[in-house]
Amino acid sequence: MQQAPIKKKKKVRVPKVVNGVETMVEIEVDEDAGPGWGPNDKHTLLNHRLTRVDGPLKVSGVARYTHDVRLPGMLYGRILRCPHAHARLTKFDSAAASRIPGVQAIIQTPLKEFLFHGMPVAAVAATTPEIAGDALHAIKVEYEVLPHVVKAAESIKPGSPKALPDEVNVEEKEKRGDAQKTDAAFAECDAVVEAEYQTPRIHHACLETHGLTVDYRGGETAMVYASTQGTFTIPGDAAKNLELPESAVTSVVEHMGGGFGSKFGIGVEGMLACKLSKQTKTPVKLMLTRYDEFVMAGNRSGSWQKFKAGVKKDGTLIALRATQYRLGGLGDGSQAGQPYVYRVRDTYREVFALHTNEDSSIAMRAPGHPQASFAMESLMDELAYKIGMDPIAFRKLNLKDEVYHRQLDRGARAIGWERRKPNAEGAGPLKRGLGCAVGTWGGGGNNQCKVEVTVARDGAVVVAVGTQDLGTGTRTYTRAIVAEELGLQLKDVVEKIGNSKLGSANPSGGSTTAASLSPSVKDAAIKARLAIAEKIAPLLGGVKPEEIKFENGRATAGEKSMTWQQVSAALPASGIAAHGEWRSDLQSRGVHGVCFAEVEVDVETGHIRPIKMVQVQDGGLPLNRLTMESQINGGMIQSLGMALWEGRVMDAKLGIQLNPGFGDYKLPGSLEMPEMVPIIDDDDKREAVIGIAEACIIPALGALANAVFNACGLRVRELPITPDKILMGVMNGRNLA
Amino acid sequence: MKAFEWINASSVSEAVQLLKSSPAPSDIDDAARPIAGGQDLLTTMKDYSSRPARVVNLKSIRGLNLIQGNARQGLTIGALVTLSQLEENPVVRASFPGLAEAAHSIATPQIRNLGTVGGNLCQRPRCWYFRLEDVVCLKKGGSECYAATGENKYNAILGGGPSYIVHPSDLAPMLVALGAGVSVVGVEGKRMIPLEKFFTLPSEGSIRRENVLKNDDIITQINVPASPFAAHSTYLKFKERESMDFALASVAAAVQLGASRKVTQARIVLGGVAPIPWRATEAEKFLAGKTLSGEVLKETAKLALVGAQPLEKNAYKVPLTATLVRRALAKAGGVAA
Repeated sequence: MQQAPIKKKKKVRVPKVVNGVETMVEIEVDEDAGPGWGPNDKHTLLNHRLTRVDGPLKVSGVARYTHDVRLPGMLYGRILRCPHAHARLTKFDSAAASRIPGVQAIIQTPLKEFLFHGMPVAAVAATTPEIAGDALHAIKVEYEVLPHVVKAAESIKPGSPKALPDEVNVEEKEKRGDAQKTDAAFAECDAVVEAEYQTPRIHHACLETHGLTVDYRGGETAMVYASTQGTFTIPGDAAKNLELPESAVTSVVEHMGGGFGSKFGIGVEGMLACKLSKQTKTPVKLMLTRYDEFVMAGNRSGSWQKFKAGVKKDGTLIALRATQYRLGGLGDGSQAGQPYVYRVRDTYREVFALHTNEDSSIAMRAPGHPQASFAMESLMDELAYKIGMDPIAFRKLNLKDEVYHRQLDRGARAIGWERRKPNAEGAGPLKRGLGCAVGTWGGGGNNQCKVEVTVARDGAVVVAVGTQDLGTGTRTYTRAIVAEELGLQLKDVVEKIGNSKLGSANPSGGSTTAASLSPSVKDAAIKARLAIAEKIAPLLGGVKPEEIKFENGRATAGEKSMTWQQVSAALPASGIAAHGEWRSDLQSRGVHGVCFAEVEVDVETGHIRPIKMVQVQDGGLPLNRLTMESQINGGMIQSLGMALWEGRVMDAKLGIQLNPGFGDYKLPGSLEMPEMVPIIDDDDKREAVIGIAEACIIPALGALANAVFNACGLRVRELPITPDKILMGVMNGRNLA
Repeated sequence: MKAFEWINASSVSEAVQLLKSSPAPSDIDDAARPIAGGQDLLTTMKDYSSRPARVVNLKSIRGLNLIQGNARQGLTIGALVTLSQLEENPVVRASFPGLAEAAHSIATPQIRNLGTVGGNLCQRPRCWYFRLEDVVCLKKGGSECYAATGENKYNAILGGGPSYIVHPSDLAPMLVALGAGVSVVGVEGKRMIPLEKFFTLPSEGSIRRENVLKNDDIITQINVPASPFAAHSTYLKFKERESMDFALASVAAAVQLGASRKVTQARIVLGGVAPIPWRATEAEKFLAGKTLSGEVLKETAKLALVGAQPLEKNAYKVPLTATLVRRALAKAGGVAA
């Protein structure tokens, strides 16, 4: 099996993700890199249903999250936030606050002008979080209140207050296609739909809020415990604020409670925690409160998309004109370009960032895609209805990628598409309907992970790399890859992750972790296997090392066989260590995905009950089928929340968020869950690892909105689809803008 | 939250004295507060909308956590009875089913295990303008009800002005429908207040409060009289999110059916649509002597909403509540909606 040492290099283009934003870069990799994964159906551990190795720790409360870190003498940090949407600081007096017993430090942010409600103004460190809270209230702050704008519909108007001092509210980002040709093409169309779709800003709603504990006591080094998606995004920034060399700072991320794109770098809270710790020479823990988390920890950008689309009677998409506004608050927001995955003969799109006085949007699970997919998939449905064509047939006609065709067929069978009635009908208030939609994502890896596999003489196997497990199952597959390569079981391998003193790893953004990490783990495991084989080959009759098979806890060559204990006992006193590097041939990129939804709408109360959701997802080699199904379910659930309940509500006059808590920001709970059917598309035969975490949040929005229309004939074009919108639709007679 | 003094009261009279003897507050929301389950009080303390320097624990008082009585005698419910006690009580379930349903509809099992009946009736409004620390609305001593022209999807369609809160309690509409009263102990002794007179509209009572209680008053008991309609009571609550939510609208209904299943008397009280549990008297009168047909139910629902004045974003509550009135009455009367 083992081939000669590798020399030849080739150049490949791979995605590189920084803070969830993906760009392509060219890198050099080995042309003939060594053994691959082998066929997807020939694995002993991978592509099986593996119970996650950190499960027992998590359900028993043993797992230590950043929120659980408690150090002796530690102080608690809290952040003072600006109470206005736009204001200039005129007075800051912390004298009274600093006299409160237990208050150890008060620091200001360097800003004087605050551009959104909740923007950090200062921070306090005190011996208890309650004292810190009291101190915040005792700081006397005065502001000159300035004009603000928080609603997109206001921001777009000429003469509206400027959200950003140095930028216009409507910022042009892209113009693409031939506007004149597209406009002319509508004349050829048999049916034209003009529609506007909107999605609100959404919150990541991680169960663990942003935050960290900075352990600095005035010495030459510091430890930073952080809830982060990037172990290695912490030490640099922390070092700057602590005025230490980067190498003197170690970050620790043992377990973390969700990120969804929101946790890269130390953030403002990290900067403040470091400064507080630096000033007090005492460990400082600063976790955002849930309120903080809503108002200042980022969000998914909203969207406002205006379409004019034309189609032939036979279903061929001819023309699409799209105006896309990205509602990213102070930030630019994100939105995939239209017509998304569809083939349209003539297209023209113009894309703008539309600014408001709100916390900047940041990356969130599949940045820009759910917004684009919801609007496009709703539009596709409207067009299909207009020409009286089955929505699946219509999609197939306009999707050139065959993978979608097979996935649509598979999903249709699983949901029972044949039960679908073309239009709402039947007596009684309860109406059922079916809908579908598609999505796409990259999910490729990049060359950042360095992995160490060590085998000791007592048989202990350790795989070490500094990466982080966001709950995506990194620990489990890291173990599984090594165990499978050495013919062992999961329990025989220990993974060490979440520490910046271990081998470097990429931040978990853009679904790049699996495809970046697992090739390096595999490479290290193969090298460890060969190093071991070299040592034991003489004991197995002098066979070539690469001919030794490692299976079922034994090393075997021909008739001869050794147990794992015998194998490890034959190693040198120091054991063996193997170093793994990324191999582009062990990963790939580009996934599809379709979602089907069935809902029941009560047209007399507006209640929408999701009945069933099916999602078909490809992803090359599934590292762990159980985790992949969980990812698909999680994507459907998060999408279901966006479709039917979630959305940031702003008050225009006050410029503040009205629902910054889990009472009024309504995440779905257990009683909202439909039957969920995650389907792994095993017709994808790529023997390569691809990240799918983001792919599976994309298509469900469109599927649910289309199911609602199929059920009751109401086209709700603005998410979330709440009972009031259904009832107003019924009152006012159908289609809702 | 502001630092506070915690005192365990050993008797009702001691609790009242402790509340009274607390230093006079500069603002009504700085006054000492009694605490039972704390499920609402603590949230208001965390957002500084109430800032007591003293918190008087009532849970240390014995004997206030009992449900006594039966269908013939009526019920007495101690103010410290938890919501889960109420929803699980066999007498309540059998003879006052609407009350058990109302209790069950509240929040989550964890909250129902701690939240008390007395506390449920004394909850502060859920209006988001009221709940946000950075907003000083009319009910917090400010000059403006921001909900009147702002994001008012969840606000009142009936009885609003100058504040447009809706009363958040689920027990309140049902208890009003059942003709219940509360025993209140204050510095001047004990008094009985019919629940219908307990809650106050913003236009009639203090804009800073939702009921007639003074700062040093404590509810000790809820009295639910025996009635010919209690056994045919129901509570229908519509939540935007079933897992845990307050009512977008709810209906407490009870009917007494006479010969040939004609309605002898009916009670209809709306929740989630007005600053108080909103009794639909006209609709009740209309129903008397009628059979619960589809047409009658429709007309009743229409009458229940007479005078509704939706704000910009809550007109949907009119058809929603109408549906709930029809369905609740049909359920209480055992007919198809």
